[in-house]
Amino acid sequence: MEAIVVDKLTKHFRRAYDKTLKGFFISLVKGEKRYKEFTALNNVSFKVNKGESYAIIGKNGAGKSTLFKVLSGIIHPDSGSVKINGKVAPLIELGAGLSRDLTGAENIRLNCAIFGLDRKRIEEVYPKIVEFSELEEFIHTPVKFYSSGMKARLGFSIAIHIDADIILIDEVLAVGDKDFKKKCYAKMEEIRDSGKTLVIVSHSLKPLRKICDRALILERGQVVDIGEINEMIDKYQDEKKTNNKKKKGA
Amino acid sequence: MLAHLMKYKELMYFLVHKELRIRYRNSLFGFFWTLLEPLGLMVIYTVVFGYLVNLNKGLPEGAYPLYVLAGLIPWTFFNNSVRKGTKALSGNASLIKKVYFPREIFPLTMLISNLVNFIPAFALVLVMAMVMNQPIHGDQLALLPGMILLQAFFTLGVALLVSVLNVYYRDVEFIVNLLMRAWMYLCPIIYPMSRLYSRDTDPVVQQLADLYWLNPMAVIISLYHGIFFPEQGVPAHPAVPGLWIIYTILVTIILFFAAWYLFRKMNRRVGEVI
Ligand SMILES: Nc1ncnc2c1ncn2[C@@H]1O[C@H](COP(=O)(O)OP(=O)(O)O)[C@@H](O)[C@H]1O
Ligand SMILES: [Mg+2]
Repeated sequence: MEAIVVDKLTKHFRRAYDKTLKGFFISLVKGEKRYKEFTALNNVSFKVNKGESYAIIGKNGAGKSTLFKVLSGIIHPDSGSVKINGKVAPLIELGAGLSRDLTGAENIRLNCAIFGLDRKRIEEVYPKIVEFSELEEFIHTPVKFYSSGMKARLGFSIAIHIDADIILIDEVLAVGDKDFKKKCYAKMEEIRDSGKTLVIVSHSLKPLRKICDRALILERGQVVDIGEINEMIDKYQDEKKTNNKKKKGA
Repeated sequence: MLAHLMKYKELMYFLVHKELRIRYRNSLFGFFWTLLEPLGLMVIYTVVFGYLVNLNKGLPEGAYPLYVLAGLIPWTFFNNSVRKGTKALSGNASLIKKVYFPREIFPLTMLISNLVNFIPAFALVLVMAMVMNQPIHGDQLALLPGMILLQAFFTLGVALLVSVLNVYYRDVEFIVNLLMRAWMYLCPIIYPMSRLYSRDTDPVVQQLADLYWLNPMAVIISLYHGIFFPEQGVPAHPAVPGLWIIYTILVTIILFFAAWYLFRKMNRRVGEVI
């Protein structure tokens, strides 16, 4: 049984030159194009099985976050289809889904409500989220005063507690401190073992070898290869090395 | 259409609660504080337009402050919902970029929290009328829930439109602020609507007076006025007596569905352009 089926997914972005009505009318009068198109995802297809841990690896700008946004419904694809079986908890980039002006406590309740938890369930998971994040002292401070590490803690703690079947984790652990990272990796293994589906984007490849089963290499919006995790990481690193050598040689 | 939003009632409750808490700061004084603006404006308009410019002609002696407030309170409901509605999406960019949920919840909760403000504020107008010994017309008062519903749907239609437009074009906010000012003067708030038809008014205005009622907000405000001042209610059209009200209901329904459709359509790119 698949948790995620992505078929021939393509997404173009429009990069607007001027995001105002004034700009709109000026380019209308001048008869020029208002935006240039850019292909962020190009014919991407893959499947993630239920209970599997899956990694997406690729350089900056490869389209990893865009892919996650399409999977979680934030962005609509131009063509292709996405099928999701289960509830998705997306943890996309830093400060995932946190409202700056609200306190940590309010953000927990807000996010729980967004993911459809009822009041009783919210009160049940609230203390667990606070405990896991280790932010008791700052829980009534507005999130705008949080460091990026603190936001990552809060975001991660929320995502793993909202009763999701599929958890998408995008580079959120890049900023946490060592101890918390360790705790998160341990938690991810625990989540995987409990039968939930994990999809992870990370620049620290080493922990992925331990957590993930398979990986997808993404380059400029296109799938390069899909396969067993260690194989894929080796391939990705080899390519990077040869690319670097080429650059040095040139 | 609204049914799928019921899944998110906990979220809507949270957002409305947050909005009201910020405004009231958990106190009754906070509620009166939100009335300070319309009450202050009432005093200013009474002094400037009631005494200095004499816009009160056509109203019973001393009734001008009540007339102003009876129009200003519904107008404030509309004005605040639309102005805050403009920023309902763009002000929540950090959330919209990272999680998905029906985004019409933002303008909708903005409307609900302003509605929660409006109802006790309008009750205060009724109290003021009783204190001032101004008769309240029960037959019109019975229609109050209908008036509020009509205004709420009209307001939501406008708020949906401006909220999503403001994501695509950031200067929509300035234009909305300017238009709302003009719109207020096109509604019978600081002047009695009977001035349009009075004999000393410019004949051109008298001839075109019927066009005035093409503005749904003018009709809605006059409906509220009718509770206290029957002669300032929505005038009967010579051919079809309830024409302006029927027209306003139709415009509201069309606007609401058009706004909903456009919101849905433009919503598709909100996650990336915001
Ligand atoms: N909302 C957007 N509008 C326009 N271009 C975007 C948008 N989001 C991402 N992009 C572009 O799409 C490409 C892929 O971005 P992203 O998915 O964030 O890459 P990654 O997460 O792999 O580093 C980048 O070139 C980026 O500039
Ligand atoms: Mg990224």
